[in-house]
Amino acid sequence: MTAADRQLPPGALQLLTTDPGPWLSCDDCFRLVDRYVAVLLSDSSGSTDAELAAMPAHLSGCLACAEEATTLLLLAATDQGLDPADALQRLTAR
Amino acid sequence: MPAVTEVSRETPAPRHADGATPPGEDWIAQLTSSGPVREDALRRLHALLLRGARFQVSRMSAMRAVVGAAQVEDIITLAADEAMVAVLSKLATFEGRSRFTTWAYKFAVLQAAVELRRQAWSRREVPLEAAPPLIERRPSPDQYVEGAELAAAVRAAIDRVLTPHQRRIALALIVDEVPIDVLAERLGTNRNALYKTLHDARSRLRAHLSLQGYLTPSTRSPGETR
Repeated sequence: MTAADRQLPPGALQLLTTDPGPWLSCDDCFRLVDRYVAVLLSDSSGSTDAELAAMPAHLSGCLACAEEATTLLLLAATDQGLDPADALQRLTAR
Repeated sequence: MPAVTEVSRETPAPRHADGATPPGEDWIAQLTSSGPVREDALRRLHALLLRGARFQVSRMSAMRAVVGAAQVEDIITLAADEAMVAVLSKLATFEGRSRFTTWAYKFAVLQAAVELRRQAWSRREVPLEAAPPLIERRPSPDQYVEGAELAAAVRAAIDRVLTPHQRRIALALIVDEVPIDVLAERLGTNRNALYKTLHDARSRLRAHLSLQGYLTPSTRSPGETR
């Protein structure tokens, strides 16, 4: 790879400059992600589950966790016969 | 295999004979019972996990294309099998704060995603040594939209503000777009450690760019991690 290849790809600038938020490990994200999806699909936008507060920031910064959380949300929405559009928008919204 | 990012309706979530999806407590009771009841629950659980793994793989079209159809099927089956072991070994930790099916799906989704990323990158080199400086080129139209001046400041800050380790990890994950699982495997570490490094690097970049007037400072105190 040459230096000329190493430009910032699209989206990198936002990822690098957005507030990373409170620390949450990928293991904790995995532990919480089913609860987070349940809250998003139940439209509990005013959820007081403090443990979930760091999830949006983590999913904004960890592409792998975000990819898996999106899949989980789509699977759960389909099983429940719900439209996932609103919940998908709120998955990483902060 | 579905090639779209929509959950296939051809393989719906496993259901009871009466058509109802059993609630979490029923799943737990059936999976911890014995005889035909347990056997039936195990069969339905494995079908559910296969569905979760298949859907995860269906959403990763670029990596799926690299790996090939036959290997993809192996990945799906292996992911469901490994997720089955994980779910059964962790039944006692299910708290009922989500549907059982959602809780179980996540194990298959994780296994499938990690394995497909690993296989797709198995023959690719991960550039990690002596990463050259990020160069500044004439901004692209996208960069004009995002702010060419900020982009230049970020490139400079990556080279000047981050530690060598932070810079190496940030460049691999964000610039070279190496999947975090793949990078963890190559470096003999884990996803948590790499994400922590990236988190700290982003905090450091943001603090530096805020001091320089490019960004509005965060309301959290510097160095706050939780």
